[in-house]
Amino acid sequence: MQLRDYIVRRLMILPVLIFGVSIVVFALTRIGGSPIGVYLSHEMNADEVAALEERFHLNEPLVVQYWYWLKGALSGDFGYSGVASAPVSEVFWPKFAATMELSVFSAIVAVWLGLWLGVFAGTRRNRWQDHLTRVVAVSGASLPLFWFGIVLLIVFWANLGWFPVGRSTADLWASIPHPTGFYTLDAILAGNVQAFLDALWHLFLPSITLGFGAVAIITRMMRSALVEELQQDYVDAARAKGLPERLVLKRHARRNALVPTITVIGLTIAFLMQGAIAAEIIYRWPGLGRWMADAVVRGDQATIMTYVLFTSVLFLFANLIVDIIYAKLDPRVRLGD
Amino acid sequence: MAMTDPILSESAAKVRLRRQGEVLRSLMTNPTTALGMIIIILLLGMAIFAPYLMPPNIPDPYQMPRDWGATRMPPGTPGHPLGTTNQGGDVLYGVVWGSRSSLQMSLIVVSVTVVIGVVIGSIAGIVGGWIDEALMRVVDIFLSIPELIFALAVAAILGPSFTNIILSLCIVFWVKYARIMRAQIILIRQSDYVQAARVMGDSRFNIFRRDILPNASTPIAVQATLDMGNIVLVGATLSFIGLSESGIAEWGVLVSEGQAGIASGRWWASTFPGLMIFLWALAFNLVGDGLRDALDPRTEGKR
Repeated sequence: MQLRDYIVRRLMILPVLIFGVSIVVFALTRIGGSPIGVYLSHEMNADEVAALEERFHLNEPLVVQYWYWLKGALSGDFGYSGVASAPVSEVFWPKFAATMELSVFSAIVAVWLGLWLGVFAGTRRNRWQDHLTRVVAVSGASLPLFWFGIVLLIVFWANLGWFPVGRSTADLWASIPHPTGFYTLDAILAGNVQAFLDALWHLFLPSITLGFGAVAIITRMMRSALVEELQQDYVDAARAKGLPERLVLKRHARRNALVPTITVIGLTIAFLMQGAIAAEIIYRWPGLGRWMADAVVRGDQATIMTYVLFTSVLFLFANLIVDIIYAKLDPRVRLGD
Repeated sequence: MAMTDPILSESAAKVRLRRQGEVLRSLMTNPTTALGMIIIILLLGMAIFAPYLMPPNIPDPYQMPRDWGATRMPPGTPGHPLGTTNQGGDVLYGVVWGSRSSLQMSLIVVSVTVVIGVVIGSIAGIVGGWIDEALMRVVDIFLSIPELIFALAVAAILGPSFTNIILSLCIVFWVKYARIMRAQIILIRQSDYVQAARVMGDSRFNIFRRDILPNASTPIAVQATLDMGNIVLVGATLSFIGLSESGIAEWGVLVSEGQAGIASGRWWASTFPGLMIFLWALAFNLVGDGLRDALDPRTEGKR
């Protein structure tokens, strides 16, 4: 199959999957009870409740309700978030920016450390360094992020006082405009070094918390890809012509091992989105994850639906892009079923 | 009728036995797997003998006992070796009885999801046609939502309780098993020996029971082992976020309860229960990893 046909076919399945996810989530939230629970108070009488139900079309069959929801969602109306006391679409962007900023820095930690550890272990296969790396990697995958974050806070915030909690120092945050919502970018745009350093200072612990969890995925993939590459004939050929081992690794094996490692980017993004929930609670980070955590505890259906739908769409697109890049980089990939 | 030839069936049994021996040897000689095994044995021992280690709280042993005369005690306090929480809960009690909660949760969820997954995967693989098509689209949709986020949404809708966390995990975690089962059926159905069995007139059910099920059990066992750890990790995250009843002896709940004290230097109430979650997940991940390598003949000699 041609790459273009493949992309077209995948792009055609994508809306179907997104539609399916929206139905699953919608059905779930409606099973859970009335979405106007957030608006109701004890002082309301039956007529007022009925009026509210009529206003939000809750007296209609589920299919009709779904239709109204879909129509709203397609025009950018995702409902009213009880937790944020504002329409979902209004509060989404600043929270999204906060989560993305944290995720990007965590990804830098994860990719850098993961690739390094993967090469370290892959070139020392079955030696104690390999076993140790394996334990470190599996530890990262087994670590309850919410607990890891608390432990880091106990050491570096409560005891040593080196790092803060939260996203920013209030005065510095207020001293610059926020056109993008990304604190680091806004600080650069404003040319404010102090605010930029403040952003990094606040990002440090949460990025390590979130990033370390994702290290495991990248390390294991890089290690096994490298082990695979090091057994290929071209590596033997490179060695035979007298290329030093360091260059065999740098010029040949490592570069090729990166190709299969790209496939775990999708997994890593899913991991970061999920982990962000815990990390944001612990560090009082004003992002999507903490919003969702508040929403689930208080039954804020509009937020839950939007959040689940958003992460699924993000996850699906990430996987699609990864597949395309992978197919382009490795012509051996068969694009069949 | 197939495989009634004594020579044929005996050699097949022998091969299987030899393979099992190889798997076992490779498991025992791998140091990281051995480490995982030891931790699992210790944790299971703790869960099984919990009533002897810590006398159960009356009437409900899964409720944390409250010692209001000894709140916020540091580790080493007489009667409270690991200290107490802000609400006078004994941390050691929570650690010990929390292992029971975790064992219950992971065992229930793994057995339920394996059964659901195997049944749905088998129906899809064997019946085929539009039923297969429909079931697999459902699987695709389920796999489009990241696990923890899906479980979080379901648990939120069911309402906060430990039972609902278990229920939500059952709803989310069966999908992988259905996929594995279906893939195995399709793979094995095309293999020579199943073709042979079919030609020799073996019934569909016999082929399923004797050829397909044992072969599919390998990847399912690996996934189930990994899930034993993963489920406790996800479940504890849900209860940490606040989807359990507060005050129960569950590790995630305890980490959450201890969180309030860390600013004032009371590190113990969160640290110990969280460490248990970590050890639990680590142990099952190490063993699951080792199992995968040992059972996959392709990785032989590579590791």
